[in-house]
Amino acid sequence: MSAGDAGGQHVVSRLMRESLMDKQVIAGTEAPVRAILPNLNVVQIGGLSIMDRGHKAVLPLLEEVVANQEQYTQVIGVGPGVRARHILSVGLDLGLPTGALATLAAKSSAQNAYMVSCLLANNGFVYLEAPFIVQLLPAMLAAARGAVFNGIPPYDLWEHPPALGKIPPHGSDAGAYLVGEVFGARMIILVKDVDGLYMADPKTRPDAAFIPQIGAADLMQLQLPTLPIEPVVLELLTRGKLAKSIRIVNGLVPGNLTRALAGEAVGTLIHA
Amino acid sequence: MNDIAGGGAPLTDLGRRLVGGSLSDEAIQRATEATPNFAILPWVNVVKIGGQSIMDRGRSAVGPVVDEIVANLSRHKMILGTGAGTRARHVYSLAIDLGLPVGVLTVLGTAVAWQNAQMLQYLLAKHGIAFLEPEGFASLPHYLMERGAVICQGMPPYKLWEPNPAVGRIPPQRTDTGCFLIAEVFGARKMIYVKDEDGLFSADPKKDAKATHIPRISVQELLARDLNDLIVERAVLDLMLNARNIKEIQFINGLKPGQLTAALDGEPVGTIIFNAAATGKAA
Repeated sequence: MSAGDAGGQHVVSRLMRESLMDKQVIAGTEAPVRAILPNLNVVQIGGLSIMDRGHKAVLPLLEEVVANQEQYTQVIGVGPGVRARHILSVGLDLGLPTGALATLAAKSSAQNAYMVSCLLANNGFVYLEAPFIVQLLPAMLAAARGAVFNGIPPYDLWEHPPALGKIPPHGSDAGAYLVGEVFGARMIILVKDVDGLYMADPKTRPDAAFIPQIGAADLMQLQLPTLPIEPVVLELLTRGKLAKSIRIVNGLVPGNLTRALAGEAVGTLIHA
Repeated sequence: MNDIAGGGAPLTDLGRRLVGGSLSDEAIQRATEATPNFAILPWVNVVKIGGQSIMDRGRSAVGPVVDEIVANLSRHKMILGTGAGTRARHVYSLAIDLGLPVGVLTVLGTAVAWQNAQMLQYLLAKHGIAFLEPEGFASLPHYLMERGAVICQGMPPYKLWEPNPAVGRIPPQRTDTGCFLIAEVFGARKMIYVKDEDGLFSADPKKDAKATHIPRISVQELLARDLNDLIVERAVLDLMLNARNIKEIQFINGLKPGQLTAALDGEPVGTIIFNAAATGKAA
């Protein structure tokens, strides 16, 4: 209902004077999307699952990143881990809203991303804050075939209040997916400390059945009580235009990242 | 594993569960419901100045709105967000034609809202009103206390991280959404949208003379009507259902002098969209 009338000073365009809330106008904008960086591989390193374990988990994984640097362009997203859990706990106790909690938690993943960039610095990887991802990523990748970014998306105070509770819904899995989607990345790999998806939590139910491949919509319908990834990623996947799948691999197993980059069916593939 | 929970200050019961458990666990999410809701800026009013509806009209529309803002500076504290408008429509059309993704369209649209915010700031500069980027929001309480208002561009800072819409290519979360989320996170007193109509009508009043005015409607009823067109981004209505602080939003006609003042004073001008199920989550 915000369509303008003669009072407005318009620029001529297909959307001129149209309401961008109008369903037909919105549907009329459907058109193919170009992949901006189709050779990109987004590798998301878990906070709690990898980073918090220290050098025993992190260094072998980063060696694998470097070993693949020649062949694959990688941008490394990093998650926040236990320090984010701690500040969520303190922040919730103080009564802070979701947007404030998201801003605070994002600093924990920024720390982890910065540490990873230091460990990869000798190979030319740099840590890029969100504004530099927007402006400088292609140059950095041309220079070194690699960069590190904060896995948590820059939603900050503008993070959505979730349907249930107050925990920020867009964490480092969502951020990594969205980077892959907007650049039209070749693949998105989420590196965790589990082999992939199971019908139940394998840490408490060792007999739980493994899921090698599943559709995002089917997975949402299963309504599993816990997931090794943020549930919002499944919803984002169903709306993906370029990034049609994510792969979850166990980063504690040497060779898994390399196999995933090579396109092998390791871990769990969740597709749109 | 490097443990944060040992030694030092003991964690709350919820804290222990957060540190040890999965954040996607519904039981943990539910447990966070029981924490208090602290309102960061309970006296602030977020006022969104429409792009196509106000800014694109130039002096005839913007001048009186600016005068009314100035007249209210000593009475109400305001975060003034700007919409994008016709240049955003042009750049969206062009970028879609070039095959660029939604995240890139969001970066482009943000620049248009930014231009409008800058223009508004030039007009209010002599009253000491500052423009703040999202990165500068920590200074916002100071400017509000000192000068009564600040200006920001209305887009949320999602940039390349803007999710795709379910249909089409237009970024679904634009300046209505960005301003709503500012109001929500600060626990603002009011969220007022300044547009070029008296609020919500049963049909588009610019196209249908028989359209009747709707002074008050619940977000639930509005969503249930599943209208083809809306006065506000659909994302705002979805977010209203989950919002903990903002229970209602108001739409007023910025082309009618006095409506902004009336809305700031708490009068039911224009249209109010309220959350009929919000009682349980009150601060």
